[in-house]
Amino acid sequence: MNTTLLAGIAALLLPVIGLAGEYSLTVDRVKIDTGDFVKTGIGYNGKSPGPVLRFREGEEVSINVTNNLDEMTSIHWHGLILPFDQDGVPGISFPGIRPGETFTYRFPIQQAGTYWFHSHSGFQEPDGAYGAIVIEPEGREPFRYDREYVVQLTDKHPHSGDRIMRNLKMIPDYYNRQQQTVGEFFSDVSENGLMNTVRDRIAWGDMRMMKADVEDLQGFTGLINGKGPEQNWTGLFEPGERIRLRFINSSAMTYFDIRIPGLDMTVVQADGNNVQPVNVDEFRIGVAETYDVIVRPRQARAYTIFAESMGRSGYARATLAPEEGLEADVPQLREPARLTMADMGGMPGMDHGSMAGMDHGSMDMSGTDGMSGMGDPSMKGMDHSGMAGMDHSNMQEMDHSGMAGMDHDSMEMPKGGASDPFYAKGSGLVPVAANGGKFLSYADLKAQNPLYEDREPTREIELRLTGNMERYIWSINGVKYEDADPIRLQYGERVRFKFVNETMMTHPMHLHGMWSILEVGAGQWNPIKHTVSVQPGTTVYMETEVDEPGQWAFHCHLSYHAAAGMFRKVIVEGGPESAQAKAKAGATTEEGGDA
Amino acid sequence: MSRIRLLGAVSLLVSIGFPTALAAQEMISDTTARKQPLTTWGVQLEEFEYRYSDDDEELGVWDADSFYGTDELKLRWISKGEYSLEERAYESLENQLVGQVPISKFFDAKAGVRFDTPEGPDRTYAVLGVVGLAPQWFEIDANLYMSDEGDTSADLDAEYEWLLTNYWILYATLDATVAFSEDREIGVGKGLVSTETGLRLSYDLIDRTFSPYVGVVHERKYGDTADFAKAGGGGTEDWFAVIGARLAF
Amino acid sequence: MSASKFLVAAAAISMSATAFAAGAHGEGHGSGRSGHGGGHGAATGEPGKASEASRTITVEMHDNYYEPDSIEVKPGETVRFVVQNKGNLVHEFNIGTPAMHEAHQKEMMMMVEHGIIQGGTLNRDMMEMDMGNGKAMKHNDPNSVLLEPGQSREVVWKFSDKGDIEFACNVPGHYQAGMYGEVDFD
Repeated sequence: MNTTLLAGIAALLLPVIGLAGEYSLTVDRVKIDTGDFVKTGIGYNGKSPGPVLRFREGEEVSINVTNNLDEMTSIHWHGLILPFDQDGVPGISFPGIRPGETFTYRFPIQQAGTYWFHSHSGFQEPDGAYGAIVIEPEGREPFRYDREYVVQLTDKHPHSGDRIMRNLKMIPDYYNRQQQTVGEFFSDVSENGLMNTVRDRIAWGDMRMMKADVEDLQGFTGLINGKGPEQNWTGLFEPGERIRLRFINSSAMTYFDIRIPGLDMTVVQADGNNVQPVNVDEFRIGVAETYDVIVRPRQARAYTIFAESMGRSGYARATLAPEEGLEADVPQLREPARLTMADMGGMPGMDHGSMAGMDHGSMDMSGTDGMSGMGDPSMKGMDHSGMAGMDHSNMQEMDHSGMAGMDHDSMEMPKGGASDPFYAKGSGLVPVAANGGKFLSYADLKAQNPLYEDREPTREIELRLTGNMERYIWSINGVKYEDADPIRLQYGERVRFKFVNETMMTHPMHLHGMWSILEVGAGQWNPIKHTVSVQPGTTVYMETEVDEPGQWAFHCHLSYHAAAGMFRKVIVEGGPESAQAKAKAGATTEEGGDA
Repeated sequence: MSRIRLLGAVSLLVSIGFPTALAAQEMISDTTARKQPLTTWGVQLEEFEYRYSDDDEELGVWDADSFYGTDELKLRWISKGEYSLEERAYESLENQLVGQVPISKFFDAKAGVRFDTPEGPDRTYAVLGVVGLAPQWFEIDANLYMSDEGDTSADLDAEYEWLLTNYWILYATLDATVAFSEDREIGVGKGLVSTETGLRLSYDLIDRTFSPYVGVVHERKYGDTADFAKAGGGGTEDWFAVIGARLAF
Repeated sequence: MSASKFLVAAAAISMSATAFAAGAHGEGHGSGRSGHGGGHGAATGEPGKASEASRTITVEMHDNYYEPDSIEVKPGETVRFVVQNKGNLVHEFNIGTPAMHEAHQKEMMMMVEHGIIQGGTLNRDMMEMDMGNGKAMKHNDPNSVLLEPGQSREVVWKFSDKGDIEFACNVPGHYQAGMYGEVDFD
């Protein structure tokens, strides 16, 4: 499948880069067996997930995609920086690939790392049309490993994407089987007292919001590399080896909390970009994100890779073992997550008076250089006299995990409550490591080697993430894609996007074609990502160097949220001359077409 | 920083290497389904049941609701009927065809026509109603009717669910009808006409598609309506044991 | 709020000195060397004299790996290392056993948490600061150097006869990511 041609045709097309690879993919109807159920779906080269495409940084690839379906298809190269007309979004990049047609994508590979590809047509992606991309860097990796595995997750559901969308539209809680029951009422009464519980139920009932609304889509089987928990995908190792695991979350809707009991994980890459290594016990991977971790199993035994869904309604499981057939204990699912009033903090028009502890100010990292503030020179003048006599014995038990970022207030949190500056204070979604150890936060992510010079953004664009769960409508600034004008950016500017999540759900926002520089308070070391999770009740900033002309998709990567309207087209105006001409032409068409 | 240079090189490459390949492809406008209002449909039968009354009366009853449309406009067909198994006749048969538009975050307004074609005289009504989710999770459906005879009436349906578990669900329903004028021919007196209260325990057997239930239903007629019923030799109050299933497609 | 941070730092020092000694104990050498970084004994070798060095090995630090990432030494040899930080981040060059490195990583974690090491900068003033118990995060032991980008420093080390020895960067995550090198004995 992977034929690497040197010179020849490639040399004609590309006088600059001498390396070229030709790849072929067929889009097929396939059978998917999760171990729990068998269904037909869509795959590549006869399988779902499709093959791992291995590219090399600096190579010019051409990928022939043959559509064997009886409907239109497309492939989007998630996270790849490429000319917009190769980005694979029907209606934005290109018209799509007709049944029977072979479309050839051609683009230069300008980056390295772990990415993935998927259909951007209808619900083909949740139906199985996805695969992994691994790009080898030109130079050496800034870390060492002896072997590597792609660990690609998905939330395979017995229902087709179309049916799921229809069911959600008809009965928005169709798939939610973690709702609060009469039994939970009584257990809450015994824990919190009758009046508190009644007040709590009335407050939520008044909003007509469900605390249990963490996962829209339950009832899935978590798959790793196409294998269900019973089928147990297994990666082999020799004890003492260092293994690079390339985690990719290709789920339609599901966030996973990932841990490997018995192993420390060192996160070295996020969304394909190297980050300063962070040792963690567990991490949460948003839909469409990737994380590369290095583990070093020293014992000749099996280790379970356990990926529990954020709402605890399901899990994926795989094994690392010295030989096939070994397995380790599979942990139990933890208690279902429950939203709190803090997660509702973003809702407009709500009475915030009762929401003690909510402080959105702490999320606002704008301008303040939180990270460097930790070593602020002003500390030199501090008075240490107050330190004497303090009991240091308890300090070892202090949770330092929240400190790495910027939220020093977290140190004052009572009862050592978990906190993460990227979650609303007191949020019910704040992740906690199963072993009590370190859980990765966005605040821990720092670029290994900053891609861009740090500079002031030229302007800020506010994007309120909005929705109506009872109607299953999802939108941006209250407007669905069907009614929205495109977002216009100027080539060469640096835009600061301000996401304000006014819904009670987490939204993984994905801007195509250009990097999202996530504001974690680390200045020039802010990590660059392609997908940024915005938790309920929070405000998150990201900046984008507008360095790619053309038009691009920008949307929530939860499949059914994007389809319900949380989607935008971004037009980059100006740019290199040839692109500029196109942009003008496109802008004119746009006014006619989208008005 | 190396990627900055690389990006420069690539944009150079794009501008030099591909002008002919790309110039032909202009930025298109999105005419895909994504840019169109999402059209969807659904069919739900909240009641599809066999009723056995304390007078040994046997009824087949349904309450079906089908829709087609978008967030902004739905077409709705609501069908309700009570079929007497002994008499082989419809005690009531009602079909509504309404258009429905959102009016607030949780409520829709609807307008349309209702055709009643039971055993006996038929009626056609104009319908105006609201349907939605009230605070504290009460599902409300309230309607005003004006018949082709000029009589006006209203009804209110409310439903509340208790989740005993996430699969065992207890549904409480209350339907009440009031008439603002008498329509003797169909046995309706002015004032409160009738109520139907029900309690059904259902189990979601197949998703929310097939949820069998058992329950009790209490029907009562009031005032003049009750008198008309008595005069016609009928009862004014019935208790039913019911068995059936909620269905959703 | 900031005061508490310093208290933690102080606690960290006292705690990690213990942890470090314990680590060294594991190797059979828990000698009474005082202060931070103590505890390396015959398992790894001892500080050498430059005049006795048989040769010079240049070790480049990159983000996050060494070049070379393995060296060969003769038992008992004294080597002069010229360590150059060619990366963008702060790195360490530390000669020790894996257990010593593991113990030292906890100390380095504290240095990061208290802002002494931040990406590419090292707050030397804070390292000198008295943490309230007569100790400081000086990181001035003869078996290691901690360098900012662009800095270069020498380490002269007389290796012992044998042992499981690595040179490593114990800045959090760096060792795990692969920033270490093997010391192979001829």
